[in-house]
Amino acid sequence: MTRRIISMLSLLALVALPAAAGKTYSHQEYFEHYEGTSTCLTCHEDEAETFFHSQHYQWTGETPAIVNADGKLLGKKNTINDFCTNPVPAWIGITKNSRGEVLSQGCSKCHAGLGKMPSAEMSREQLENIDCLICHASGYNRTLVENEDGGLEWKPILWKNQEGLDSVSKRITMPKRTSCLRCHSGSGGGPNYKRGDIEYALADTDREFDVHMGTDGGDMACMDCHAGTSHRMRGRGVDLMGSDSPDRLRCGDGACHETAPHAKELLNRHAVRVDCTVCHIPAFAKEDATDMIRDWSTPDYIEEKDKHLATITMGANVEPEIAWYNGTVWAQLPGVPVRTDDEGAIAMVVPQGDRNDANAKLHAFKVHRGMMPVADESHWLLPINVEEFFADGNMDGAVREAAHVVYGIEDFEYGWMPVKRYMGIFHEVQPADNALRCLDCHGPDGRLDWANLGYEADPLAAALTPSH
Amino acid sequence: MKKSSLIVAAVLIGVFVLGLANVATAAKKKGPKGVDLYKEYCKPCHEADSDNGEYTPMTMIQDQWERFFDKEFVDSHSAVLDPNHDNKPVTEAISEEDLEKIKAFAIDHAADSEQPMTCG
Repeated sequence: MTRRIISMLSLLALVALPAAAGKTYSHQEYFEHYEGTSTCLTCHEDEAETFFHSQHYQWTGETPAIVNADGKLLGKKNTINDFCTNPVPAWIGITKNSRGEVLSQGCSKCHAGLGKMPSAEMSREQLENIDCLICHASGYNRTLVENEDGGLEWKPILWKNQEGLDSVSKRITMPKRTSCLRCHSGSGGGPNYKRGDIEYALADTDREFDVHMGTDGGDMACMDCHAGTSHRMRGRGVDLMGSDSPDRLRCGDGACHETAPHAKELLNRHAVRVDCTVCHIPAFAKEDATDMIRDWSTPDYIEEKDKHLATITMGANVEPEIAWYNGTVWAQLPGVPVRTDDEGAIAMVVPQGDRNDANAKLHAFKVHRGMMPVADESHWLLPINVEEFFADGNMDGAVREAAHVVYGIEDFEYGWMPVKRYMGIFHEVQPADNALRCLDCHGPDGRLDWANLGYEADPLAAALTPSH
Repeated sequence: MKKSSLIVAAVLIGVFVLGLANVATAAKKKGPKGVDLYKEYCKPCHEADSDNGEYTPMTMIQDQWERFFDKEFVDSHSAVLDPNHDNKPVTEAISEEDLEKIKAFAIDHAADSEQPMTCG
């Protein structure tokens, strides 16, 4: 009897072994072979339609927070910024240096599509251009492939390995930290170049680096704060042109923190006019330095990479600049004469609000500066085909090529002007123990420029000065 | 010998033995890296447009590499002679230790890893 039981158990173990060795994924049962986005559309056409209209696909969106947008849909696709300027002239392509090494593959590398430019009109072709897996499949990676007709397309790197692709395409989840950071940390040309407070380190960090995302802290993923409905993300920082979601993402709206979150009443009184970020993000770019000044007027040549670049000044452990912000900004738009600030710099993005604006609070900012081309006659800000410039170092050609694509202009003269952009700092939040102390702002070497903020002097110093 | 002297001697011997073990571990970790071994042993027969098929770490996912090294490598490569290593069968040309390094490199940089890689 005992021998029979052992035999039966052995047989069961043999049968069970392959199943136990195999892994099962969320979409294991829904399809057999992944054949591109059409596989996803079989069940998720409605979701694809909502994504088509979202900012992650269109790269434009509604602009309730841009005071001078005049109702236009705006985004990185149809504006000009002071990093890589505009993605349309360099949307997709393989740019090589003189040694034949690939320098770049186009701005669409970070678009959640398979290479086609997003159109305003929805179509089957556009829906099939959506790359669902880039955000939703962990372990998915893609590469730029030249098709037989010479066209370029983003394809899974496993496109010749159906078994591997079938495995990865079934690992469907909400976007993980690494999915988001892949583009949002790498934007601007290098790790943390653009944002300053969204570093690759956030993928796996501790509370001393970011109290929310630290695995020994809140252990929160990006989606815990930013997930909206129908593929509309919450939160737009300060300098994004389009808004996916009409509601403003706030720390103290009651969902996570109360409006008076501190035990000390003095701190709660501060919180009425001082955003959490001012005290709780004393510094950004803590692991990877960030691009603080990008001067396109002074080309740099990196011999090691055989690549031409703007002259970029990096900053590490940067102390944020503090300014009033009421949730809206003024933005320098393309096709209108540039407007300069008191420093003579083109005000690319300027937070609105002041001391007398009850809706405004002091916020923490990365202030990015640079030099950009401006047309002499129209005073329009000009884009640059940066990828063309990477390879040949011909800035004049890169400006003219991009201006032709974006504005349709050819005969023009141009010069260079300084630019200045305010970018909100909202990540890498510090626990209370590491937050600023009173004297960090109110001391003789305090970090606030009181005059610039609308005060005659440090209000604490004024309160302590005996009146006559 | 006093009891305390014996304890001190035992502790010193223990520290010495542990030190030797650490040195041995460090020595074991030295030597060529997985990426270099991949280039030396795998790439010559599996580079782009090769008749044997192009294989880089990102050709396969981690599970496939695991399966290949654990279950398929010996069968598929024991009859293949390596011209760069005295025409020995590939399975003999690569030491067990180096094969582990190659396997780790392939898995760490597989198509579904955080950093998919070719081997340069």
